[in-house]
Amino acid sequence: MRGFGDLESVIMQMVWDQGRPVTVRELFDQLSQDRVIAYTTVMSTMDNLHRKGWLTRVKEGKAYRYTATASREEYSARLMREALAGGGDTEAVLSHFVAEIGGEESEVLRNVVRRLASRRPE
Amino acid sequence: MSAALLMCLYALPVAWCLPGPLARLTMPGTSARLGLTAWLTAEASVLASLVVALHSLISAAVAGWSVLAEAVCRSVAGRACSPLMYRSAMFEVPLAAAAAGGALTAAALAWQYGRWLQRSRERTRAHAEAALMTGRTLSAVSGAVVLDAPELAAYCVPGRPPAIVLTSGAVAVLDGAQLAAVIAHEKAHLAGGHHLLIAITRGLAAAFRAVPLFTRGAAEMARLTEMCADDTAARASGRNVLVSALLAMGTGTATPHFALAATAGSLAARVQRLLEPPPRAQQARCWLTLIAVTLLIAGTSAALIWFADALAAHALELLS
Repeated sequence: MRGFGDLESVIMQMVWDQGRPVTVRELFDQLSQDRVIAYTTVMSTMDNLHRKGWLTRVKEGKAYRYTATASREEYSARLMREALAGGGDTEAVLSHFVAEIGGEESEVLRNVVRRLASRRPE
Repeated sequence: MSAALLMCLYALPVAWCLPGPLARLTMPGTSARLGLTAWLTAEASVLASLVVALHSLISAAVAGWSVLAEAVCRSVAGRACSPLMYRSAMFEVPLAAAAAGGALTAAALAWQYGRWLQRSRERTRAHAEAALMTGRTLSAVSGAVVLDAPELAAYCVPGRPPAIVLTSGAVAVLDGAQLAAVIAHEKAHLAGGHHLLIAITRGLAAAFRAVPLFTRGAAEMARLTEMCADDTAARASGRNVLVSALLAMGTGTATPHFALAATAGSLAARVQRLLEPPPRAQQARCWLTLIAVTLLIAGTSAALIWFADALAAHALELLS
């Protein structure tokens, strides 16, 4: 659906789910169960992920064994930190559905709801 | 020279005195789109007049250069200048200094602005990529990725490809219809290119920290793009669903200390405007005022720029 990037994401999810170092062959065997895919595609995608810093690898015999650089939880936490770092200060341009709000605004908001509710009883 | 003065005389009041009244006009978000246009037009007109002012200053300094150069040559060679030439040279020195100072400032600001834009784009793209890689795709939440995190957050990140991100915390408090409304809202941001407007105006606010038009403009742009996306989401999912989603996300959030001053009251305003749109007559009046203000700003600055151009050309003719 998301093109080539999609495969990278699928492979990362598989590496995380495995929880141990994996080879290209192992992931290829799993992947080819539910899609038509070439071994070299899997290999080059994992090579890309290694180049981008998502995977580390150690040589084992003729093949590499790949591990995720950081756990999924670590990445999630990092993303959240960036996403919730107070509005104008973050350099990434993200559009939040609801910006972080303070106690004062929560109060205002509850008042609005109360006022609306009393006006329209349904 | 007088052209530069004229443009500054236009730009300064617009940059300092317009933001207040304009914000009052766009605050309720009666027409978010017209509000956006008005702010962008005002910012563009001030930038354009500054560029024209700088241009006429530089061309005046360049045109007077021969007088200055000759006066310097004569004084070095020991030949006397006519009093007229002296007086002219005395005038040319501060002019040249002002032009050089203006050009340097403009170059520094442009460089800073470019760097800010580039850095922000890199950070944003990296965030989108990481989110797509880390997030799970759930069949219940089509078009978005879900991050395992307790916080309530839903946001979109432009990138190649862009990402719509929801936390598992947010997914837990929203039902199916509300999720669809949230995603429709974020899709409207991406489709409308709102991140561009935000990046451009935020960058200008970073470059012109002391100028109310740009600082206020950036904050208003954030509010108004939210309202634009609300309008699209309300059309797709229904106003009540959208409002209930806003309230679920808004009141369910833990309230950290870094509450944003810039967006204070914005959520309440968004809810209120969705539930209680002003009467038609008031809406129409607001539209007409916004259109009139936008046309006035655009027309005045265009006329002044044209006039300044004519003035500058006339001054050059006199010199030659």
